[in-house]
Amino acid sequence: MVEFIIKRTIQMIVVIFLALTAVFFLLRLSGDPATLFLPPDAPKDQIAQYREMLGFDRPLYVQYGDFLLKAIQGDFGESLRSHEDALSVVLGRVPATFQLAFAALGLSILIAIPIGILSAYKRNTFYDRIGVGLTVLGQAIPSFWLGLLLIFFFAAVFHLLPSGGGGTIYHMILPTITLAAYSVARFARFTRSTMLDVLKKDYIRTAKASGVPMMRVLFKYALKNSLIPIITLVALDLGVLLGGAVITEVVFSWPGVGRLLMQSLLNRDFPIVLAGVFFIAVVYSIINFIADIAYAYVNPQIRVK
Amino acid sequence: MHKKMLLPFLMLLVIFTTACTAGTAGDEESKSSGGKSSKKNNVVIGIEADAATLLANTDVNYITDVQIRNIYDPLIKRNPETGGFEPALATEWKNIDEYTWEITLRKDVKFQNGDPFNAEAVKFNIDYILDKKNNSTYLSRWADIKEVKVIADDKVQIITSKPFPTMIARIADDLLIMDPGNVKKLGLEEAAKNPVGTGPYKVKEWVRDDHLTLIANDDYWKGKPSIKEATFRYIPEFSSRLSAFLSGEIDLFKNIPVDSLDNVKNNENSKVESIGSSRVNYLALNTLHKGPLQNQKVRQAINYAVDVDELLKTVLNGNGTKMTGPLSKINADYVETKDYGYNPDKAKELLKEAGYDPKDLKLTLDTPNGRYPMDSQVAQAIAAQLKRIGIDVKVQVNEWGNHLTKIQQRKAGDMFILGWGPTFDAQSTIQNLFMKDAPYSGFYDSEVEKAIQKAIPIFNQDKRKQAFGEIQQLLVDQAAWVPLWQQADLYAVNKNLDFKPKVDESMQVFDMGWK
Repeated sequence: MVEFIIKRTIQMIVVIFLALTAVFFLLRLSGDPATLFLPPDAPKDQIAQYREMLGFDRPLYVQYGDFLLKAIQGDFGESLRSHEDALSVVLGRVPATFQLAFAALGLSILIAIPIGILSAYKRNTFYDRIGVGLTVLGQAIPSFWLGLLLIFFFAAVFHLLPSGGGGTIYHMILPTITLAAYSVARFARFTRSTMLDVLKKDYIRTAKASGVPMMRVLFKYALKNSLIPIITLVALDLGVLLGGAVITEVVFSWPGVGRLLMQSLLNRDFPIVLAGVFFIAVVYSIINFIADIAYAYVNPQIRVK
Repeated sequence: MHKKMLLPFLMLLVIFTTACTAGTAGDEESKSSGGKSSKKNNVVIGIEADAATLLANTDVNYITDVQIRNIYDPLIKRNPETGGFEPALATEWKNIDEYTWEITLRKDVKFQNGDPFNAEAVKFNIDYILDKKNNSTYLSRWADIKEVKVIADDKVQIITSKPFPTMIARIADDLLIMDPGNVKKLGLEEAAKNPVGTGPYKVKEWVRDDHLTLIANDDYWKGKPSIKEATFRYIPEFSSRLSAFLSGEIDLFKNIPVDSLDNVKNNENSKVESIGSSRVNYLALNTLHKGPLQNQKVRQAINYAVDVDELLKTVLNGNGTKMTGPLSKINADYVETKDYGYNPDKAKELLKEAGYDPKDLKLTLDTPNGRYPMDSQVAQAIAAQLKRIGIDVKVQVNEWGNHLTKIQQRKAGDMFILGWGPTFDAQSTIQNLFMKDAPYSGFYDSEVEKAIQKAIPIFNQDKRKQAFGEIQQLLVDQAAWVPLWQQADLYAVNKNLDFKPKVDESMQVFDMGWK
């Protein structure tokens, strides 16, 4: 177990390092922040001065080295726009993102797994077709459009729910549904197909033949054995959700990490973007790590190997 | 068997019922917060983004400025209709000589925390801009200030290192007065969240990326504000802003896209207010790199081939005011210039004279997407108009930051779409667009540069106007660009809210009221 943890930690560091490196160089290709932060009438010498102050006049490898050295110490610099510490700005948006992510994930698991099981159990029946149809629909609708549609009907037409912003539980309902729609589709389809595989297995047939009640066969024997691939999927989606659901957060004006990253990217606020990428890479790695441990819990064979 | 089949279905049913119950609960909430009652004492304004900081004189940015102008007062303000100057915290201003401006201040004004407003405060704020440590992006505009002298408690002198004829415009458009005591006591980082000004509203709560709530300053020197509370809600996505407006959650927002105007007009609780902005849109003809556009006749031909009236009518549904020269009519130094008009035959003739067959001309046109009203659609329409005389135009749509970088680095295509403003005087447009260092018009000519250099330091207002008038004629004759229009600023406003748009694009809650 200790060896496993050490190995995964090293992997994690490599992943984070690579992510930061890639984003660092991609950002520099995207243009000069001085252009966007200074007023358009700023003369050349002030632009030069500004770039010098930010260190953008140095060779790229020097900037990169300097960035890495500071990043290791947790210092991502100041936001170019608000001059606040970049990492603190990102961390300040984390609670809102987590709130939405867990709500959406919870909702999708709650809906998707029963649909998946029902579809598999009642394969090629009316229930199955409805289930599969709904999931395909969920996966096909772009969240941008679904979000706007929900806002339009629930806020603008019927005045049932707020159109966006943070604050109360009511503000959470529409973004949670929007965000869950896609995961529901993925989880349900996946549950259905793994359940179908498992349901064909000999031990299920034996269990059925020996008169074990169907609910028990489904939930105790079949579901538990289908869980491993589902856990991977859930973990991957959770990683994505915790990194901030960019589109959903923007559409619903949700004050989370995804929206912050989007705006910072458009503003060329490099320190914030890099701190945000760092945060996402860390969360992603940790979630995957937890998923690996969860496999071992569900299937002791993995631990032995 | 039948029973067992129903069980999973029941589970689903429970989930959906829960979702629906939650929905109805939200219903009561939104009703109690009330979207439609008239006589409200708060107003909610929807805006794209957060302020970068609540410190004054720091961030040259409309989004920041429109919010903090409710907290701080300027010394001199713009007349909302004409753009002329009016007293605010200052009562009088005059220049003693070409290097010295003297400003007399009101004596009865206090900051929101009780500190007195005086000449020291004015000095502090100008010095703040000039101090490089403060990273103010206003610095370049104020760089020619040598010293600020406190003459008396209510009198201050600004001494410049060069003649500075546009000083009053700088003061009106840039300078806001924050309380020196507060900044010194809290430090910049804290003062950026807890600002103190002399303005009609104080900060109640600022939640980053969510909202800024202001509360009335009942001791305001112009009188008690009639609206007690004002909130700026940050809604980045336009469609969401529109929905929030239609649902009554916000009472006001700026920049309704032309193609969504009907949504607001047809809503029974809302109205559209509009004003001709000082912001101008143009089609730049790039002479900064080699190509046919370096030829004056080609540029003139394009001016003849672009039908601005048609663009205004079909693409913008009439929301804009046609321009013919480099400046809009709002501009104090505007002179009437020749209108090229639409004349495709003349365009073809000029191209022929220049030695070009229109069918061989292949040009590129860079445009941002969503920065200016219908910008990329305008670009497509211009391409279609030029195609009528045979010129092949390839439209390149850019993300805004990229578009700006391309222009700055002089890598933009043969033509590009850009806007400029707010601008009320000739110099701030002409100097920043048509000089050698300025890439934003894509046009450079050494004769024009000489004329501008000569006009800038002229102090006498009449002579100045004359000099800039000649430059305007020169630029039109050179066909330096294709002038398009003054943007129309379109505001969605709650039917019961008394709000009149202003040429400087400000949204002063103090001037608003509920019917």
